Amino acid sequence: MTDLAGILGADRVTEAADMPVITPRDQEEVAVLLQAATRDGLTLTIRGGGTKVGWRPAPERCDALLATTALTGIVDHQPGDMTLVARAGTPIVKIQATVTADATHRQRLMLDSVGGPTATLGGVLSTRAAGPRRTRYGTPRDIVIGARYVTGDGLIAKTGGTVIKNVAGYDVAKLLIGAHGSLAIITEVAVKLHPVPDVARTVALHATSPAEVAEFVERIRTAPITPSALEVRWPEGLVAVRVESTAAGAAAQLALLHTFASLEELDTPAGEALLEQQLALPFDTEGAVLGVGVRPAALAALLAAVEQAGGVFVGRAALVAGDVVFPDNDPDRVLRLGTAVRALGGNLLARRGVVIEQSHTPGIERLTTAMRNALDPAGVLV
Amino acid sequence: MTVVDTTGVLRVAEQARAIVGPDWVISDGAQLRVYECDGLTNHREVPGAVILPGSTEEVAAVVRLCHAHAVPFVARGAGTGLSGGAMPTARGIVIGLARLRSVLALDVPNQRIRVQPGVTNSHVSEIAAPHGLYYAPDPSSQQVCTIGGNIAENSGGAHCLKYGFTVNHVLAATVVLADGSIVELGSEAPDAPGLDLLGVVVGSEGTVGIVTEALLNLLPKPEHVQTLVAMFPSIQAAGDAVSTIIAEGVVPAAAEMMDRLAIEAAKTAAPIDWDTEAALIVELDGPVSEVQSQFEEVTAICARCGADDVRVAASPDERMTIWRARKSAFAAVGQLAPAYIVQDGVIPRTRLPEVLSGIRTLADEGGVRVANVFHAGDGNLHPLVLYDNAIAGEQERAEAVSMRIVELCIEFGGSITGEHGVGVDKVCSMPKMFTGSDLTAFDRVRTAFDPHGLCNPEKLLPTPRLCGEVPGFHHTHRVESAGLGQRM
Repeated sequence: MTDLAGILGADRVTEAADMPVITPRDQEEVAVLLQAATRDGLTLTIRGGGTKVGWRPAPERCDALLATTALTGIVDHQPGDMTLVARAGTPIVKIQATVTADATHRQRLMLDSVGGPTATLGGVLSTRAAGPRRTRYGTPRDIVIGARYVTGDGLIAKTGGTVIKNVAGYDVAKLLIGAHGSLAIITEVAVKLHPVPDVARTVALHATSPAEVAEFVERIRTAPITPSALEVRWPEGLVAVRVESTAAGAAAQLALLHTFASLEELDTPAGEALLEQQLALPFDTEGAVLGVGVRPAALAALLAAVEQAGGVFVGRAALVAGDVVFPDNDPDRVLRLGTAVRALGGNLLARRGVVIEQSHTPGIERLTTAMRNALDPAGVLV
Repeated sequence: MTVVDTTGVLRVAEQARAIVGPDWVISDGAQLRVYECDGLTNHREVPGAVILPGSTEEVAAVVRLCHAHAVPFVARGAGTGLSGGAMPTARGIVIGLARLRSVLALDVPNQRIRVQPGVTNSHVSEIAAPHGLYYAPDPSSQQVCTIGGNIAENSGGAHCLKYGFTVNHVLAATVVLADGSIVELGSEAPDAPGLDLLGVVVGSEGTVGIVTEALLNLLPKPEHVQTLVAMFPSIQAAGDAVSTIIAEGVVPAAAEMMDRLAIEAAKTAAPIDWDTEAALIVELDGPVSEVQSQFEEVTAICARCGADDVRVAASPDERMTIWRARKSAFAAVGQLAPAYIVQDGVIPRTRLPEVLSGIRTLADEGGVRVANVFHAGDGNLHPLVLYDNAIAGEQERAEAVSMRIVELCIEFGGSITGEHGVGVDKVCSMPKMFTGSDLTAFDRVRTAFDPHGLCNPEKLLPTPRLCGEVPGFHHTHRVESAGLGQRM
């Protein structure tokens, strides 16, 4: 057994309940650690805020956790260019707070802190996590403009840059986003920022059937309305629309929305709170949670299937993507819904208390293996 | 390095006849010359053969032949690329996708469309238009450039400041890999499980496979569009206006700038009477009430930043004239000089004034004229370096100036390419932007897709043959990666 303390020094290793934790201080130390692990045949699992551990199956073997808790801080912030670079272990809420504290520039980071206030930039990227903000601003792949990373065998590399438009080289960041730390360790990320709108207004519909939800959403999708969030919670019957614009722009869009259905307008704090609840609900449960995605036209069918399986859909109504929260860990419910979602041509993702057998085609299996071998040749990252 | 012999090409061409039909294999010298270059015309190479498959299966079968005979291949769409990405490889074949131009399925309820790669960019929007939908990426060559080429280059266009690039609009793609196998990447529904391989394929410049079908996201046409052109006494003043507009929280659908020389050129292609140092085109789109309120703000900012004249397009025709002036500027520059180089660099938007004065200095020192056309909102510059190839040494001077402009972009923290790609044009600039280990990691990604180096070789990443010894860029030997030895 390799002496872990000998790699970066004893002060970088702590013993957690079940496993040693190694905490490199910078990307050079990450590289030294991964070179040693490659040489000695160690396996490591990366850990950021530790909020989304259930999103992937536990590895069969793991010698230590690689913690990103020391890889923190904002490296560069250019309000004029609306870009920011931060280390991967920085909590998203800290970056958001720094950006919004700058009252002169009125900007914000449109990544959701999925998993709560300890969720890190690297963790949200690695799990491809996204919440209500994706409706208008996309997922991490649409926000990230560059990254520094360390391959499984300890090569320090960069992809993209710090400018918002750039096609030089392969977009390796796309590969690392959603790879669950299986190809390389992301150490630093460049993101683009968005302006804070003049006004943000939220209205809610209380619907009584999946068809009513789908019809309302369809009217919005084909109307001159650009919602920044379009959330649904079913079978609760809640649909929330957030419009961000100029005062006149928001007023006109809300007026149009009111012609579609009888709506309740929420005040600003209530509107914010509702979005936060949508983000938090899948994490405030003891039951199983399943991530689902279906085509826009399959919304009503999805909601019906969720209700039938005894779950609650918490997610984005226009895309359609979100989480199904179950009251317990009954595998039959999960299976029933999983079957229904697959029948709709949808995607399933493990979130909590579930394991999804993803049936990739042989071609994709081969490519995935080739990519793992290319970036982590010794299979260090598990 | 790939070793090729011509007998392989001949065998592939011969056997391909049985796959695609004899009419779709070109091996005649004069006909082959049509394919010797793309939009980057100063790099040429006559291919060994051109094969025009008629289906995904035929593309795959032809690629399998190339794989079996170790013959490199280059996919080609309309050949409008500006970095030589579709330039043939010596003793390789070209796989032309011009026959794959069917719209396979328009799915209005889900706002998407499945097309073959030879469909032109603007045709997608034309097909979607009756349903109130459109395809957002709009490169200037959209009338002729194809979706396959757009995907290869991750094309942007004037409106990508607000709507993003091709990669933000491709939901799924059928890809023929370098060994001739067929994979479907991405999915109809959001959040396809597994690695985002599609995200790497888009923008890979044809070096990891050939896209034979693509599922594209469509957007509802904005309710309202308003366009203005503001005349500024200096590029700096126009640049300040752009920064101020964006700082005020307005995200224009487009913010484009042209300098005096570019305007002079555009006059040969569009009926405009602009007489100014810098013209700034700003377009807003969205719900009518939002556009109107923001448009007032933009107009006021332009005036505050020193615009002498702000002209608002009062009709769709006037709007089209403004865009014709902008989108034809590249070609129109051909009226000002016998030859020119289109450059494509990116800088942080706030550094625009410094970089532009740097470009002026470089042009003066090099004794050439430079016209500037750029996507001002995202800092993507397109300096056009004019020269006369009849004058001895002028082309070399122009190339040197063009190269220095790209280096200037890197010095200011930018990129060597914002949308035209690396291709063959900028392979040797890659080490200026990326370190040896950055390039090694890129090369590993490429090799994972294409272990035998047959798919558009010698593009995108520098090779010693093209660029001399590339510092630090080498394939790690097994002995090294196992930690058993090291290079001295």
